[in-house]
Amino acid sequence: MNGASHIASSLSAILPILILMGTACVALMGDVFIWKRQRALTGIVALIGSVWALVVNLQQILGYGSSEPFSGSLVYDSLSQTTSLVLLIATVLSVLLAITYLRNRGLELGEYHVLLLFSASGAMLMGAANDLIMLFIGIEVLSVALYVLAGIARTEERSEEAAIKYFLLGAFASGFLLYGIALVYGATGTTNLQQINHLFSAKASITPILVAGIGLLIVGLGFKAALVPFHQWTPDVYEGAPTSVTAFMAAAAKVGAFAAFLRIMNAFMPVQPAWITAIQVLAILTMVFGNLLAVVQDNVKRMLAYSSIAHAGYVLVAVASTGMIYRHAVLYLSQGDRAAMFYLLAYVFMTVGAFGVLVLLSRSGKDYQTMNDLKGLARTHPFAAYTMMFFMLSLGGIPPTMGFLGKWLIFNAAISAHQVTLAIVMALASVVGIYYYLRVVWMMCFQEPEGAPATEHPVNDWAARWSVIVSLAGTLMFGVLPALLSPIMTGLYH
Amino acid sequence: MLAVPTEYYLALSAILFTIGVIGVLIKRNPIVIFMCIELMLNAVNLTFIAFGRHFAQINGQMYVIFVMAVAAAEVTVGLGIIVAVFRTKDTIDVDEVNLLKF
Repeated sequence: MNGASHIASSLSAILPILILMGTACVALMGDVFIWKRQRALTGIVALIGSVWALVVNLQQILGYGSSEPFSGSLVYDSLSQTTSLVLLIATVLSVLLAITYLRNRGLELGEYHVLLLFSASGAMLMGAANDLIMLFIGIEVLSVALYVLAGIARTEERSEEAAIKYFLLGAFASGFLLYGIALVYGATGTTNLQQINHLFSAKASITPILVAGIGLLIVGLGFKAALVPFHQWTPDVYEGAPTSVTAFMAAAAKVGAFAAFLRIMNAFMPVQPAWITAIQVLAILTMVFGNLLAVVQDNVKRMLAYSSIAHAGYVLVAVASTGMIYRHAVLYLSQGDRAAMFYLLAYVFMTVGAFGVLVLLSRSGKDYQTMNDLKGLARTHPFAAYTMMFFMLSLGGIPPTMGFLGKWLIFNAAISAHQVTLAIVMALASVVGIYYYLRVVWMMCFQEPEGAPATEHPVNDWAARWSVIVSLAGTLMFGVLPALLSPIMTGLYH
Repeated sequence: MLAVPTEYYLALSAILFTIGVIGVLIKRNPIVIFMCIELMLNAVNLTFIAFGRHFAQINGQMYVIFVMAVAAAEVTVGLGIIVAVFRTKDTIDVDEVNLLKF
């Protein structure tokens, strides 16, 4: 293949990422030079761009291609395409939420949508990375934009505090990740994940420097994915950041981090004894402490933060039962990988939906955050209360929702990968989880509202409303008819 | 000419990295914490270059350029956030910002 056609095919393979980055540049320039006073237009442009990228991504998935663009530094296969799909859905939903939230809070800043799109493209790069250095670039593109987004409410102390916490701990974690990359480079002489895989398939030699490298990689990614004991920043940042940012952060950063986890762990599959214990211990700690700490929270955003930690633990069970197979240079996703991707999609719908309801409830005067605020919501805001109820049931893993089906797939994958302990801990932890999710439902439906009902001006919140409706539709539809996803996620690559 | 063995470089970078980690954990001024993070990143750069020389590959040195570019982007954003915190709180001490509850 000559140079020009190689570049052309490389660029077309990462077209969704290019569309997001291009849209971000157009939105930025337009916001500064063209539609200076029409801030809402930036959100519309971002929405169009991300829907466009989503359509292109779906075409790619249905085109069943796989290649290694840019001389093997990226990889374009079923895993990267599915990761992109999940991330683009999260992006579209978050842009919709942001359009309403920014207007309600008087924060209409054009750079918000620009940063959001850059951040999403970084997460997509993480899913497509075939080289540890590309992975590092992706994680930084994702994070640097998120640091700014967390502090976008410049005049609020809580938002600024969240930003500086996220920034310092995130930069600290990338130091660990990078040292892990350096040590793996030293142990293998390459940073290309496929070459690492071939190297260990030929001769699985576990050296101390390799174990240290993998360990530091897990610590670095564990910070991003908010695994216990690297989770301390999560509740503070989720609570302090503006709610629409929290929704995106909870979805995109976690999906990106787990896509990277799946890639790395599959590359290191031949030396599985070097890392499987660490993943198992982290999964158990994350599931147990995430659920137990969520029980005692009185702030809904904080509760959802701990719940997102618990869900990270469930996905980590799927990572522990991974094992992709390369056959004739085509990637076949294992049961664990498919369960992880299905669960991440379910997680995006449920979490963005739940935060979306909080966005819908936020008015310039009042931010719905504590459990008391939710009292009697079924009477005052029926739409918000009943949609929230379905998201809580799905997060708790009650059928017929997508959350239940995702947990069931992970449970099955863990059993067939002989991770019985993990499967049992997961089932027990989910039972604890049901308690605090149902507590929200109880507060909303069976408690009297506190104080006099505040008179609220009717506001135009079509965007957030649509975001919540789409999330709800996804949660229920794919929970009842998972076969709709089968060409994308389950049957095809088997 | 006496060549310095690769292990010496690795030991030095491990020591520098550890100093950086300890600094992040015990310091209370975010700018100093940030300097310690930079120390960690530069210790990693030293490791990359040492391994690159060990394997006689150009990759190690290329990675350092990548890391330096990313670190520069992080500095820009980080200092901006620190200024924004100072404007809202009139202090940047991490105890006042109630940070790092390890």
